[in-house]
Order: sequence, then C-alpha cells, then structure tokens
Amino acid sequence: MSVSDQPIPLSGRILDIGVRFLPHFVLFAVIIGAWEISVATGLITSIIIPRPSAIWSAIVELYITEGTIYRHFFITLTEAVVGFAIGAGVAVSLAIASSLWDPFRRYVTPYAVVLNVTPGIALTPVIIAWFGYGMGSKIALAAIISFFPIFVNTLTGLVQVDEDREELFNSLGASNVQVFRKLRAPAALPLMFAGFKIGLTTALIGAVVAEFAQATDGVGVLMSRFSFQLNMAASLATLLSMTVIGLILFYSMEFLDDRIVFWRRESRRAAASRARARTWAAQAKK
Amino acid sequence: MVKHEQSMAAAGDVVVSGLNVGKTFAAGTVVALENANFDIKRGSFVSLVGPSGCGKSTLLRLVSGLIEPTSGEIEVHGTPVNGPRADISMMFQKATLLDWRTSLENVLLPTEINGTPSKADKNRALDLLKLVGLEDFAFSFPAQLSGGMQQRVALARLLQTGADILLLDEPFGALDEFTREHLNTELMRIVAEVRATAIFVTHNITEAIFLADQVVVMTSRPGRMAKIINVDLERPRPLSIQTSVEFNKLVEDVRETLGAV
Amino acid sequence: MAVQDATSEVLVDTLERSLRNRRIAKHVGIFLTLTLLWELGSRMGWLDPLFYPRPSNIIRSFWLIYFQNANVWFHLYSTISLVIIGWVLGSMLGIGLGALVGFNTVIRRFLKPYVIVLEATPRIAVAPLLIAALGFGVNSKLAIIMLVCFFAPFINTLSGVINVNEERLELFRSMRASKTQILRKLVLPDAIPVIMAGERLALTAALSGALVAEFIQRDKGIGSLILVYTRNLNMASAFACIFTLTIIGFLIFKGMEKLDHYIAYWKYEGGRERMSSKRKRTMVEP
Ligand SMILES: Nc1ncnc2c1ncn2[C@@H]1O[C@H](COP(=O)(O)OP(=O)(O)OP(=O)(O)O)[C@@H](O)[C@H]1O
Ligand SMILES: [Mg+2]
Repeated sequence: MSVSDQPIPLSGRILDIGVRFLPHFVLFAVIIGAWEISVATGLITSIIIPRPSAIWSAIVELYITEGTIYRHFFITLTEAVVGFAIGAGVAVSLAIASSLWDPFRRYVTPYAVVLNVTPGIALTPVIIAWFGYGMGSKIALAAIISFFPIFVNTLTGLVQVDEDREELFNSLGASNVQVFRKLRAPAALPLMFAGFKIGLTTALIGAVVAEFAQATDGVGVLMSRFSFQLNMAASLATLLSMTVIGLILFYSMEFLDDRIVFWRRESRRAAASRARARTWAAQAKK
Repeated sequence: MVKHEQSMAAAGDVVVSGLNVGKTFAAGTVVALENANFDIKRGSFVSLVGPSGCGKSTLLRLVSGLIEPTSGEIEVHGTPVNGPRADISMMFQKATLLDWRTSLENVLLPTEINGTPSKADKNRALDLLKLVGLEDFAFSFPAQLSGGMQQRVALARLLQTGADILLLDEPFGALDEFTREHLNTELMRIVAEVRATAIFVTHNITEAIFLADQVVVMTSRPGRMAKIINVDLERPRPLSIQTSVEFNKLVEDVRETLGAV
Repeated sequence: MAVQDATSEVLVDTLERSLRNRRIAKHVGIFLTLTLLWELGSRMGWLDPLFYPRPSNIIRSFWLIYFQNANVWFHLYSTISLVIIGWVLGSMLGIGLGALVGFNTVIRRFLKPYVIVLEATPRIAVAPLLIAALGFGVNSKLAIIMLVCFFAPFINTLSGVINVNEERLELFRSMRASKTQILRKLVLPDAIPVIMAGERLALTAALSGALVAEFIQRDKGIGSLILVYTRNLNMASAFACIFTLTIIGFLIFKGMEKLDHYIAYWKYEGGRERMSSKRKRTMVEP
C-alpha cells in the first residue's frame, strides 16, 4: 500500500492488480495441472471425471467454433428475466396494496404463507401441463418461485418504517400519498433490492428446472442431454454458461441497486452529491 | 498520581508506572498519545478526563496490555507489561455481556477462562451480584435486564477477576444521570472495600473529581497529559460535596486546564 | 454476507393478529367461497377439469392416495428420509467447512473467487451431471440434496465466525482467554443464530433438491409421483401431492422454529424464561 497522494500510473496499477491476483492464478494453474496429470497418468480413472483439457476443448467448441451455446444461452436468460419481471411486477404491486390497505394485507397473508411453505419446484410438471413445452412454462415457473422473496421483502420494507420519521411526517401534516412517496417507498428500496437479488437467482433456477423437465431449447436441455450422453466435459462447459447467466443477472441488479439506493455506499454517495451540486449550479446560472 | 520527576512516593507504593509512553497508529500518521509519564500509588483512584480523541482509551488499553506502546515502557507491580495479565481487569463503555449466559454465568466468565469454577467461586460471584444489588437477577439473561443493570453485571464481572488494578473506560457513560450517580457511589464504596487501585476514564468533570484522589487532565492532538490535580476531599464523600466551595474550585481548575489548550 | 430466509415477521405478525382478533371465521369463509366458485366454475364448464382439477376431486384424491390405495406413504417415506439424511450430511459439511474457512485467513483468501462463482451458479443445475456420474438411485439423490443444502450453512457459518463482535473479542483478550476458549465460549455461541438461519434455508432447499432429483429419475418419491400423475392427466392426485408438500413445508417451518427456540434460546422471551428457571433449579442453593 502506498501512502503518497500521487496518482499511481496506469502501468503501475495493472502491475498492482497482477501482483494481487498472481497467487490466485498460480493456485488455479496448480489445481488444473495436478488434475490433468492425475487423469492423464491414470491416477484417477473414471469416465465421470473429464480432463481439464477436455473441458477446455468442449468450451472452445460450444462457445467459439460451433457457437451452439448462444441460442440456448439467450433463451434461458430471456426466460429467467421475463419470469422475474412478471413475478416482481405482481409481487411489488401486491406488496404496495398490502401496505396501503390493512384488510387487504390480512386476507392476502395466509395465501402468501401457503405459497411460501410449498416448494415452488413441485409445481413444475403441472405448470408444463398448463403452459406447454415452450418458453411459456419456464417463464411461469420462474415468475412463481421468484414471487415470494420479492413480495415479502418489499412489504417488510414498506411497513417497517422508523416511527420517529413517521411522526415527523405527521407533524408536518403530510398526506398518506406523501408519506408513501417521500418516506415509505424510499425507505423500502434497500430491502426491495435485496428481494430482487434473491428473486433473480430463484427465477434462473425455475427456468433451468423447467427445462430439465420438458423442453427443446435452453441451457438446461443442453445440460441434461450432455449428461445422459455421459459427455461430462460438454456438460461442465454448459454449466459454465449458467454461472455466467447467474453472474450477469446478479451484477446487473447490483449495478442498479448501487445507483438507485446510492445513499448506502460512501463512493456512490459522493458521486450522487457531486452530480446534484452540478445540477444546482447549472440551474443557478440560468 | 504524579508526574515522574515529582514522584515522592516510596518505590514499593507504586503499582502502575509509565515512562515516556507514546503510541501512534496508521504507520505513525496518527499520534494517539505522546510522552506520558505517570506513577500510580496503591489503592488510589485516578480519573482521566479530556476531550474526545485525546487518547484516554488508548492509555487504558496500553496499561491493560491489549496494545503495545510504540515508545516508552509501562510497568505494573514492578514488571513490564507485555500482554494482558491477571492482576489487571478492565471494564468497557458497553457492558459486553454474552447474550446466551445468565448474569451469574457472565460474572463467572473470567473464572472459567482460568479454569473450572469451584463452589467458592460461584458463591463469590453471587456475593458480588448482591454487592451490585442484583441478587434477584442472578439467573436472568442480559436481554431481561435494563442498561444500568447490565452495566452492574459487568461491574461484578470486573471484580470477580480478583485483580487489584481496575481499569474502567467510561463505564457508565451511556446511562442516565440518576443511574450513573448511583453507580458511581457504589463504585467508590466497592473499590474502597476491596482496596483496589482504579483508573477511571470519563468525559464528565464532576464525576471525575467526585470519585478521584487524582484527576489527570488530558489534551488532544497529540494526546498529552496536561495537568494532574490532587483531590484532597475527605472520604467517604456524600453527593452533597459537589456543591461545596472546594469542589467547585477543583472543577474550575480542570475547566481552565481543558480550555487553556 | 449471511443469507436469511424470506419468512417475514410482518406476515407472521399479520397472521397472528388475525387469529387473535377471531377473524379466522372470515378467513375460512372467504376461502370456502373461493373454493366453491372454483368448483362451480368447473361444473359449469368454464374451467377444463382435465387441467384444472375440481376441489371435490382433490379431496377425493387425498382419500385415494392416503387410504384407499395408500400408495403415497411409500413415496413420502422415500422423499422424507432422503431429505433428512441429505440435510444432516450436507449441512454438517457446510458448517464444518465454513468454520474451517472462517478461522483460516489464508484458505479464505484463496477460496473467495470460487465461492463467488459457486454462489452465482444455480446449484440445482448440477443435478443431471451428478445423476450421470453416480448413476440412478439413492447415491445421486443424496449427492444432489447435499449439494443444494450445503451452501447456506457454509456461508452463514463463515460469516458468523468472521463477524465476531470486536468489543467482546477485546474483553476475552483482556481476560487472557486462549484461542480454544475464544472459539468455544465466544465465537461458536455467537454464530449459532445465523447458522440456524442457514440450516432453515438448507432444509427447504433439500426438499426442492429431492424433488428435482425425483423428476429426473422418475423412480420413487413424491416428485416422481407428481410427474406421473401429471403425465396421466390425473391432476387431482397431482394436486393432492402438492398440497401434501405444502403441509410438509409448513411442518418444516414450524419444526425449525421450535429447534431455533431450543438452540438459540436467548433470542426469545420464552426461551430465556425457560432457561432462566432451569438454571436456577440446577444450581444447588448455597
Ligand atoms: N486502532 C486504531 N487505529 C487508528 N487510530 C486509532 C486507533 N485507536 C485509536 N486511534 C486514534 O487515536 C486517537 C485517540 O483515540 P482514543 O480512543 O484513545 O481517544 P479517547 O480519548 O478514548 O476518545 P473518546 O473520549 O472519544 O473515547 C484518536 O485520534 C483515534 O482516532
Ligand atoms: Mg475512549
């Protein structure tokens, strides 16, 4: 760590990162090397454990030379995102209604609890019977199982408002709509985004499991097809695409979270405060 | 407590002493404490007052052996401090009780750390809980106690160690005025009863003078001991002493020292 | 970093309030009305009974699968026993590894990238691969259940161990506690509530994992039963199985709540009082 205030030159920063990650790369290389050698020399003899080099060539084939993965990749990604959007839309609307209207909350709650304790995955065959073999059933399952975490987090955020703040609003004579817009909604955002993150993960699970059960396209289909051909290298290469989808979904949500709920993180706070100072200055000039 | 060069106490009487003690943090960029010299006599009650960030906690943690000085040396009972030791016991601003233990079990914790508590240890812990007025809450969990009660459990735990040097870092700072006054009176009585030496950190000037034989006034940036004020008020001290002329003179003295910097 | 489940206190509160205020009759009334409408809708031909089973048929199916044919018991036993064994094994592995990684900063540093990748991957997607590798049968089912319920206890134990309260740690150090004493008397008890939260999630995940494994293997278990009934368009029986899972899910929820009251007793009013009087009794009065 350096103590000087001078900005470190870019080359130095790259070197810095290199040095920081070097041990990780070394460890990774050692593990891969040891694995490769022990399979190659027959130390591990099993059809179920492919060599790293075999996985690599499967990756090259799927992602580069043949490029077969992409169609399936985007289908699964679409299913997960659309399912999530539907689940989140319904969840947030119901949560807002429940927070504004107490009787509604009382009558919705038992069903929400029942839905929560039922493993949503159990609905897979039924959903496929209802929505067919195409993307519809995957989207439906994704929507159903991403619903609850978003609903409950949003509702909790909207309901559990700091009492002092609420008193402040009441003392200012704020209307219910104002309390909702200026206090409850912003206060609920952090929990809501936490719910969104869980919901995205479960939406992806829903899409993939529905693909396992019955489908013609999607990474889940590829995964089970390769597995039953005992083509372990290819199925691991397919698994990688699911990890990538998971990372894309998670970090997009993290990105939004960071920008929308900017007041939780120091760096974001500073950026937001600079931006507002600029708009203020611009307006003052006019 | 007196500055080193002025020390007239017989060597055997001094239980804690510091010579040119200094402590820096963040690779020397933050000077928390500079050149502190002190001798603390057996059985005396010393208060440390000073503005926030002047190094009071740092000094206490140095004496307790939780951290090491960057320069100088601290001796306790004639041996250099290098790590936490059995003859020193410390109490923090928060009660830091363990939620899953009853009051009695929390008080017994230091004994458990040193071995298996005997029947006598348990009785002693119960006696201490009685001393702090919590005999009816020996089997309650921290969540069932008020803040002041939790702090009293922490006080009993402090005494359970049997250490004769007690370090207290704003122990009642988070409590309301009434509870604090009450606990201070208790503390004064108990410390006298067990004949312990106490170093007591506080923000409160009245409290510092009321409790102490000596008040050490500290100033910040860098943390320094600015002045040592002897409190020659008779003991036992009733609460009403705080309105006396001598007391207010002492308060003024401390105020002036703090304001002068 | 710890993962928490979405069972919200807000919902439980709302439910309990409804029960206390004797609104239960209203709730039951609404539920019966909805059920009746469904039944009528089906009888009037607005809903295709082939896909959307009538409530009366579902009730009859319950009678059939539980008593007349009594075929559900065998599958229930298969699913539940595997879920419990897999949960115990998987979460023990998770807790053990979590503690190990938590205490060892070197391992922790090197493991971090792998944990991030593991977190983003839908673990359940590995199911076909494990079945291909370990063959059909109990082994692969257990492996899948262990895999899906490993993660929550692992990550929660890890974060519980890392996030030890600094002040308490300082207290222990000032009392000259040894490493083992700090571990046994501070770190582990302190981490218990968050580990229990992980265990709760793991048990729910274990049930979902078992269902997915059964969907793929189609041999026995509630999952395969649902699949078979749906294929035969015996939707009423499929729903009877799904509602059975609702009941199991509810029992899991209640059971884990009980267990939490028992193990992390200091978090609950009742638990504190129980332990308080128990300890008073065991302590022989001096
Ligand atoms: N671990 C640490 N790392 C870096 N700086 C520290 C650390 N501990 C203390 N300091 C710094 O040392 C100085 C003295 O801190 P200390 O906690 O001793 O003050 P204090 O007199 O106890 O203040 P307060 O009355 O607010 O408790 C402060 O400037 C503080 O920021
Ligand atoms: Mg302090």
